[in-house]
Amino acid sequence: MGQLRLLMQVAFRNLFTSKINILIGGIIFFGTLLVVVGGALLDSMDSAMSRSIIGSVAGHLQVYSDDSKEELSLYGGMGGEPDLAVLDDFSRIKPFLEKHPNVKTVVPMGTSGALISSGNTVDLTLARLRDLYKKRAEEGESPALRANIDSVKSHVRQMVSLMEEQRNKSRELLSSAAVDPQEAEALARARTDAFWDTFENDPFAALEFLENRIAPQLPDGDLLDMRYVGTDLDSFQRTFDRMEIVDGQPVPQGKRGMLLSKFYYENFLKLKTALRLDNIKQEKDLNQKRIDADPQLQRWVKENQTQTREILFQLDPIKTRQAVERLQKVLGNQEPSLEKLLSEFLTTTDDNFDTRYQQFYAELAPLLDLYRMRMGDNLTITAFTRTGYVQSVNVKIYGTYQFKGLEKSAMAGVINLMDLMSFRELYGYLSPDRKAEIAELQKNSGLKAVDRANAEDALFGEESGNSLVAEATPGLIEDAKAFEGALGALRRDDLAARVYSQQEIEQGVALSAAIILKDPEQLQQTMEELKQSATAAGLKLRVVSWQQAAGLIGQFVLMAKLVLYFAVFIIFIVALVIINNAMMMATLQRVREVGTMRAIGAQRSFILSMVLVETVLLGFVFGAGGALLGSGIMSALGSAGIPAGNEALYFFFSGPRLYPSLSAGNLIAAFVIVLLVSAISTLYPAFLATRVSPLQAMQTDE
Amino acid sequence: MNAAVAQSPIVSITNVTKDYTLGKVVVPALRGVDLQVHPGEFISIAGPSGSGKTTLLNLIGCVDTATSGVVSVAGQDTKQLTERQLTHLRLHTIGFIFQSFNLVSVLSVFQNVEFPLLLQRKLDKNQRKERVNQLLEQVGLADHAKHRPNELSGGQRQRVAVARALVTRPQLVLADEPTANLDSVTGQNIIDLMKELNQKEGTTFIFSTHDAKVMSHANAVVRLADGKFLDRLTPSEAKRAMAAGAEGH
Repeated sequence: MGQLRLLMQVAFRNLFTSKINILIGGIIFFGTLLVVVGGALLDSMDSAMSRSIIGSVAGHLQVYSDDSKEELSLYGGMGGEPDLAVLDDFSRIKPFLEKHPNVKTVVPMGTSGALISSGNTVDLTLARLRDLYKKRAEEGESPALRANIDSVKSHVRQMVSLMEEQRNKSRELLSSAAVDPQEAEALARARTDAFWDTFENDPFAALEFLENRIAPQLPDGDLLDMRYVGTDLDSFQRTFDRMEIVDGQPVPQGKRGMLLSKFYYENFLKLKTALRLDNIKQEKDLNQKRIDADPQLQRWVKENQTQTREILFQLDPIKTRQAVERLQKVLGNQEPSLEKLLSEFLTTTDDNFDTRYQQFYAELAPLLDLYRMRMGDNLTITAFTRTGYVQSVNVKIYGTYQFKGLEKSAMAGVINLMDLMSFRELYGYLSPDRKAEIAELQKNSGLKAVDRANAEDALFGEESGNSLVAEATPGLIEDAKAFEGALGALRRDDLAARVYSQQEIEQGVALSAAIILKDPEQLQQTMEELKQSATAAGLKLRVVSWQQAAGLIGQFVLMAKLVLYFAVFIIFIVALVIINNAMMMATLQRVREVGTMRAIGAQRSFILSMVLVETVLLGFVFGAGGALLGSGIMSALGSAGIPAGNEALYFFFSGPRLYPSLSAGNLIAAFVIVLLVSAISTLYPAFLATRVSPLQAMQTDE
Repeated sequence: MNAAVAQSPIVSITNVTKDYTLGKVVVPALRGVDLQVHPGEFISIAGPSGSGKTTLLNLIGCVDTATSGVVSVAGQDTKQLTERQLTHLRLHTIGFIFQSFNLVSVLSVFQNVEFPLLLQRKLDKNQRKERVNQLLEQVGLADHAKHRPNELSGGQRQRVAVARALVTRPQLVLADEPTANLDSVTGQNIIDLMKELNQKEGTTFIFSTHDAKVMSHANAVVRLADGKFLDRLTPSEAKRAMAAGAEGH
């Protein structure tokens, strides 16, 4: 006892007397700090990310067909969507999975992507005009309808004149060879009063001319990439409780419909000028960036100044006039050109930005469609089915949603939700029942009415059957587009109104199923048990954890951890060498002291324990210091949070800030590593110390 | 004194040689020395530098081994003992006083003195405390128990070293030039202290010195020259012989 106390005292007092010890201590201190802080950060990020992934679409486990050629990757892989085999009948798999005592819910899913065309502004306006004329053809003209038509017509006319203006501008820049004479001719014709005077004689022909010859000249129609998850929407919403509706309403139970991700809606469907203003505001408010200092903000301002066309085209003559008046008032000048007014208005600086931002939303926004799609609109999604043909489905947009904490995450934000029925259609899969049903329909419809062009509609038009053709208005059939539109509209009404039973939703194809567990701690065990029982039951199922299901993203933290541990490893190897050298020097410095102890009667074992106790104590004290500072940093970070600098991090942080926490595991790991390293690095110097001869004590200072 | 001589010797050296190798050259430090030291003696080993005083003390102190011949300490032939046993022998039988004091700088005076007792593990805390305090009292440092060595003067440090050497009540205390690093008055005090303990406790002292004044306290002076035993004289004889030797130079 006394000896140990002595050793401790010797060690403790030596701790701060030798500079070498301070050096070693410093290394240990920072090593521990790194392990504690780095480890805790990564662990926190890991758990934050797991919350993100589990809470958004993955659930704890994902199940998919073992026949799949590739592995499930919910957030998309390197080469697009993974090639998965289908789960033929979800209703058979669900009860099987639910049998496991730890399984709480099973949600069917299918992930896919499509290109959607937003249509350009002219197209959209022309479509509105066409709808109005169709209405007139069906219901006859009323004064209100007439006024409506005239308003839209003048809007189109305004667009044409804007296009002409821009054309003249670009002509100054381009050589005449770059100008297509046919385009110029078409534009010139659309500018003539004669064209508009004769418009009413054959509105559909005039519309066709505008659609085919004028609209394509405006290159602002976007093709947007859209990822969607087809799922049992009710079950999804009940299961993933981080999900909340932002705009609109949830898709009514059993109905077809879509919920757009709020992030997607804001970032891809919002008027770009408004989006840029939002972005500038966010950067200014959240990240304290300044327009005069940040090139990105300057770029946005510049784009807002120059890219006003989107707004100009949206406004019909009346609204244009209103906009001009409002902007003149705001800017206090008499400039007649809306384009110039907008450009001036959107020239924002750090001083006027907040006012302008508010004015934009107060004065201009009411005149504009801020989003290219509104709640209640129908979206036509065109996708390639598995077998390679193109399938098109109209889905009603009911609302937007977001996952709490992941509002700003691009990763979670790309996922739009769709009902399973529409998904199955887009996926191009028909269950055997459905095939039989369609064969029946076809027989009843007497095939002759369905030509090749209409075949898909009839096939997937489900309930619409043979009544489609009969109901189409004869006058419109000549126009291929109108026909499709009318057919689509009819089908849309019919399908959109239909309510599917839970059984219908569940009996059919899904690509995967998310499983939520009652006790997430037993994830690994449950996963193994499900695998085994699936094999036993002859179901070809792959069961993977959320981490695997997330694909590359799931591996991100694992990789970051590997990098950290590698860095720690290197640091400690270096530390090992330095500590070893330092201890050698320290031992040499203490040769006489050790020799004296040996002469007085200390055994080698005593010397060995003396050196070891000293290093371990050194490791302990400085390691504890590092751990303490690390805990301090972590608790400070834990309460303040680490801001997610860019939107990609929102997903990994599971929100705008990561609130890291320190687990006992982090501390223990750091301590074990530090003590091990310091002990190992002292072994050789300690051995050397035991070899010091008592004769060394006799050496004099001279 | 005669009674002491009658006992069996505590140190018995028979025809001992010691060679050191410096590179390829073999340097003989001792060339056949015989010496008997009996319990209670207070012996000074004298001789010029390089005569083998330190080597002889190292052999007696079991910190070095002879090239040939027999070194027997407390009845044990040191050649027959393992390293561990030699260490054990040093701990329990011998006390050391070093020329440069060799105190453990991070330990207090008390702890330095207590150190050998802790290694021995024979006494409990209170017994140790009592023993250490008694020794510190004897060397006149009771007030300095809590001081660190660097807070003490050279003489005080050497007194601590004396206390440390004696705290285990060893049969034999070895001191290699204990006064060399001290001024003459302080050196005198140390020798007086040693002599006092020798007489009170009957501890055998062997110390080396080339200071004639210091030698005069010994009850025998063993003279070495060129690694050989020269003679064993009384202090007064030695004084005369050395004076003659000095004249001879």
